[in-house]
Amino acid sequence: MGPMKQTIEDRELLSLDGMWVTYHRPAGTRSKRPTAHGTRTGVLFLNGLYATRAGNGNVAVEWASTLAEHGYPSFRVDLPGFGDSECDPPADWCGYINSGGYATKVSALIEGLVRKYKLPGVVIAGHCAGAASAIYAAALSRHCVGMVLLDPCFNMSRLNTPKFRQQLNLWSRRSRVGGALSGILDLLKQARRKLKREGLPDNANLKLLRCWKEVVRGGVPVLILRAPSRRSAGLKPRTGEFDYLEHILAAGGPDARVSVEVVESSNHSFSNQQGRAAIPRLTEKWLGTTITNVTTAHTAVMGEKVILMPSAREGKTA
Amino acid sequence: MRCAPPGSTAVLEEHAGYIAVPGAHLYAMLHRAACPEARALLVGPFASERQFAYHAWVRWARYLALRGIEVLRYDHRGTGESTGDFESATFEQWHADAEALAGWLSQQQPQLPLLLHGVELGAVLAGKCFSGGAGDALLLWSPPADANQALRAVLRRWAGIEQLYESPENRKSASAYIRELEGGSPIEVHGYSWQTGLWRESFTFGIPDRLQHEGAAVDDRGRPVKIDRFGSTAESLAMPYRRYDESQNLSGLYSSTYAWVAGALLLDTHGPDETND
Repeated sequence: MGPMKQTIEDRELLSLDGMWVTYHRPAGTRSKRPTAHGTRTGVLFLNGLYATRAGNGNVAVEWASTLAEHGYPSFRVDLPGFGDSECDPPADWCGYINSGGYATKVSALIEGLVRKYKLPGVVIAGHCAGAASAIYAAALSRHCVGMVLLDPCFNMSRLNTPKFRQQLNLWSRRSRVGGALSGILDLLKQARRKLKREGLPDNANLKLLRCWKEVVRGGVPVLILRAPSRRSAGLKPRTGEFDYLEHILAAGGPDARVSVEVVESSNHSFSNQQGRAAIPRLTEKWLGTTITNVTTAHTAVMGEKVILMPSAREGKTA
Repeated sequence: MRCAPPGSTAVLEEHAGYIAVPGAHLYAMLHRAACPEARALLVGPFASERQFAYHAWVRWARYLALRGIEVLRYDHRGTGESTGDFESATFEQWHADAEALAGWLSQQQPQLPLLLHGVELGAVLAGKCFSGGAGDALLLWSPPADANQALRAVLRRWAGIEQLYESPENRKSASAYIRELEGGSPIEVHGYSWQTGLWRESFTFGIPDRLQHEGAAVDDRGRPVKIDRFGSTAESLAMPYRRYDESQNLSGLYSSTYAWVAGALLLDTHGPDETND
C-alpha cells in the first residue's frame, strides 16, 4: 500500500483555516495539475446540523461529484466543530448558527477558494442549518453570486418546551388518535391565526429574515429546494403553521430572483433516492440558466451591492 | 492541519488523505502524536450510524493523540468520504480494508504497539482482524454477536424515526423492512441502499467465538482484550441519535478507557485530563 494521498483522480483534500474541505475537480481539468479554472462558478456545500460534509448517507458527495461532472468546481466543507474540522461545537450550537456565527468563516473560506482556484464567483449551498449560514455568509462575501438553500429554516428552535408537551408531541406523531387530535389542533391554530391576523411567530429568526431581505434585494439569485412538509401539500406549510416561504418571497420585493422547487417524495435530508437525484439536476439546471456570464468584474459589482450589510456586520461582531 | 483541542495548549497535527485499496480509495485521518508511543486504528460503526458517532469518535482520536497514541480513523468503502460503491460492498471487503489499514499503520513504525479499537459493526471488523493476527491489543465497544445484529439494531432505530415523519398508512415496522430485504428488494436506510446480499451475508459475519466473552482479559496468544457493552442509558460512542447540540460528557469513558489502553500497551500514562473531554 502506498502513502496517504491528498489528491485522487476527481477529488482533492484541502485544509483551510482549520477546516477540512473536499474539492471535486470539474470534468476536463482532472488530468492537469494546475487547478486554476477561472471560467465557471464554484459551488460550496456547507454541512447541515447533524451531518458531516459528506451529508446524510453521503448525499453531498454525490451532489458535488455530479456538479463537477457538469463542469462546476464543487467544494464541501466541515465548518469548525463539525466533522474533521478543528474546535468543539459552541455551547449553544443552534443559537450560534441562527445568529450567523459561521458567516465570517464561510466568507473567508470563499475568499480563499476564489483566490486559489481563480473562480469568478461562488454559489453557496446549504441544507437546513447550513442554509442559515449560507444566507449570513452571502451578506458578507463579495464573491457570492448565488445561493442554493435546501429546506431552509427561518425560525429558532423553541427552548424550554415543557417535557409533557414534548411527550405529547411524540405521542401525537406515533398514534392514530394522537394524530387526529393534532389535526384538530392545527385547524384551531389556523383559525386563530386568521382571526387575529397574526404576523411572524414569536420564535421567528428576525436577524436571519433581515439578512435574507438584504441579500435578495441586493440582487443575489436564490434557488430554494423544499422537501414536502409533513401533513401538507406542495409548498404550503402544515395547517396552522406560519407560511415562511410566502413571507420571504414577499420580503424579497418584486425584483428578487428567487426560484422555488418542491422535490416530491423527498425527505428532509434529501438523502433518499428522489432527493439524491433531484438536487444536482435542479441545481445544475438553475446554475445554467441563472448564474451565467459571471466574470470577476460582475462579481465585484455584485459584491459592492451585498458586502457588509447591516445584519452581516452584526454577525461579525456577535 | 494543526489543531488545538479545547482546554489544551498542545497543538495536534492531523493529516487527511486517501489510502488506495483494491477497488477504492479509503478516506483516512491520521492524528499525529508528538512523540508517539503507540498507534491505534479506530474502526467506526456501520454506514448509517457514521454521522451520529462522528463527533465523539473524532474527540476520542484527539484525546489519544494528545497522550502519545497516534491514531488512524477512516471511512468504510462506499461511505462518507471514501470512494467505492456502497451497494456492491460486502462485509468481507470491509474486513479486508480494515486489515489492509492495520497493516499500513503497523508499517509506519513497526516498533510501536498497535491497538485495534472498533465500535458496533467496527467491533466485528476489528475483532476479525485481531483474530487474524493484527494488532497488539483489542478494544471493543458495543460489539454485536454478528453483523446481522448490528443491522437489526440500526433498522429498529430507523423504523422508529421514520414513524415520526410518515403518515400512518405509509409507516413500516422494522420487520416489514426485513421482509422486503428477505424478499429480494433493497431498502433505503439513512440514505444508504441496503441490498439483500449484504443482509444475507450479515448472518454469517461475526466476531470469532473466543472474543465473545466479556470476562476474557487476554486472547489465546496473551494479547490484551477489553469488551465494553453499553446499556441504553450509558454515554458512549455507541449511542447514536444524540443531538449534536446536547452536551455529551464523555470524560469518564475516555479516561477509564485510556487507563486500560495505557496498561495494555505498557505505556507511560499522560496527565489525568488535559482536555475538557
